[in-house]
Amino acid sequence: MNDMRNNNDVGDISDIDDMSGDIILKTRDLKKTFMQGKIPVHALRGVDIDIKRSELVSIVGPSGSGKSTMLSIIGMLEKPTQGKVFIDNIEVTKAKNKDIPKLRREKIGFVFQHFNLLSVLSALGNVEIAMRFARVPKKKRMTRAKEVLTEMGLGDRLKHKPSELSGGEQQRVSIARALANRPAIILADEPTGEVDTKTRELIINILRRLSDHGQTVIIVTHDPWVAERTDRTIKLVDGKIEDLLK
Amino acid sequence: MFDIILRNLTQRKIRTGLTISGIGLGIFAVIVMGGMSENFNQTFEKSFSLTAEKIRVFSSVGVFGGGVTNSKVAEVRKVPGVEDAYGMLMAPLEEGGGMSFGGNQVTGIRPEKSQVALTPIKVKDGRFLMRGDRYVTVIGSSIATQYNIGVGDKLEIEDKNFTVVGVLEYTGSFFDANAAIPLDIAQDIYDMGDTVSLIFALPQEGVDGELLAKRIKLSVDGVDTLSPGELKKEAEQNLRIFSVITVSAAVLAALIGGLSVMNTMLMSVMERTKEFGILKALGAQQRDILLMTVGEASIMGLIGGLLGLASGWAVIYGMNLWLADQGIVLFLITPRLVAVAMLFAILLGTASGIYPAIRATRMSPMEALRYE
Repeated sequence: MNDMRNNNDVGDISDIDDMSGDIILKTRDLKKTFMQGKIPVHALRGVDIDIKRSELVSIVGPSGSGKSTMLSIIGMLEKPTQGKVFIDNIEVTKAKNKDIPKLRREKIGFVFQHFNLLSVLSALGNVEIAMRFARVPKKKRMTRAKEVLTEMGLGDRLKHKPSELSGGEQQRVSIARALANRPAIILADEPTGEVDTKTRELIINILRRLSDHGQTVIIVTHDPWVAERTDRTIKLVDGKIEDLLK
Repeated sequence: MFDIILRNLTQRKIRTGLTISGIGLGIFAVIVMGGMSENFNQTFEKSFSLTAEKIRVFSSVGVFGGGVTNSKVAEVRKVPGVEDAYGMLMAPLEEGGGMSFGGNQVTGIRPEKSQVALTPIKVKDGRFLMRGDRYVTVIGSSIATQYNIGVGDKLEIEDKNFTVVGVLEYTGSFFDANAAIPLDIAQDIYDMGDTVSLIFALPQEGVDGELLAKRIKLSVDGVDTLSPGELKKEAEQNLRIFSVITVSAAVLAALIGGLSVMNTMLMSVMERTKEFGILKALGAQQRDILLMTVGEASIMGLIGGLLGLASGWAVIYGMNLWLADQGIVLFLITPRLVAVAMLFAILLGTASGIYPAIRATRMSPMEALRYE
């Protein structure tokens, strides 16, 4: 996978002196405070993590522990109140707003609990659209979309709309979409939350296989069964890392 | 991007259809009302251009104030700078027809002056009136069509039969709905004595029409004048008022269509909040979202415009065909009207899509993804 990855030249590159070439994600003193009316809610209270290239890492913790907030900040969907995030040697927390879509496109692939596929598009269309925003030519987009969907075992379901696919198939389309732009990291938010146990195993096996082929995968999960099958588990409690379980 | 826009539009067929119909109705109104306005404009312009250099002389109490005696014609003709002058008596052709726009009229004119009065209009069939003519008439093309008559046929005016001796070419002006008869006969059948409705004065070559109009007014007692410039100014002012009234009504209808696009797009943007969140998570830029949303609105405007244009065109065609039997042309579709209506439809759709699009681009991707 790594050999296919884009080298990014967008965003401000700084503070990389202590960034090992093997570390693909690093956060330092990451804090996020939301205001609920006039009351501040501290979702993250200074989180430092380092994730190596090709690692399969799970983030666990009770509801409200800050897992999803952590994922949103790494995925550049939200900005932290304080702290730094480095992806692939780029400090994305310093990036200008106009550069964020490009960074997000090239560095992050999202897999959501509820799949979040576009209902009007086929499986092929859902994967291909991710590359449109990267202005990839149509022929290349179609070839790549077919390639990743076939990798996911959906070569015969290309023309099917999400409503015509099972939960497991939809999640595999979602993984294929996340892989389409060859991102540095795949962020999966409860990827097995909506599927049965057999499909859960299939999804985890796919993510494991991706990691074995060099793709970094971070999974937020409530499911101990899933966490047990990752290389490392980070436990968040009240916005802080409580334990590195493995 | 275009395929996604089309897919989004066809996904919500009924709503899209209703919105397009709203715009279509608005543009239909623009085409029909604008078509009427264009026709009036063109008719006035052509009528004016055919009599542009002539000065109108009428009773100082107004055109409809009882007219002037034919003896004033000689006085007008004597004013220095006047090449020629002739009186005209105008009356409605049909009983109760009035002198309003679209109605046929009879013009009494001295036969020897008929060619001067009608120039530059040419006779398509037959001839102009001639000295010694009595119960004969030269008719406009609309009257010929409406009554299905030609040279040699009879036209009944005030219970008298007039033989058609000439049919004028089509001009697109008031002259198409005019039947010229000898002035003395007209004064007799309408019981007008020696009165004419107004006098036309032709300036000599090189004489300024505006100055001559003033000179006639000062030289001849009991008359007022309307110079070519004044007439044009007055006609343009009246046309402008008419255009503003008709076009405003149509624009209002179209704006209501525009509001329906905005309403649809706002609803669509709200319903697709999560979709926009997904697209942003996939790396869509603000301009991608903007293009998608504004594109949908513009396409609805374009299709609505085409629909309104087609239906307006069909109705106008049908109406003109139906009215042609009566020798009336009420609507005119010009390239200018088509261009303005289509541009208006697209701009309306686009403008109506901008606010919903801005709302879509400003959504926080995280909040959009959480939206249920």
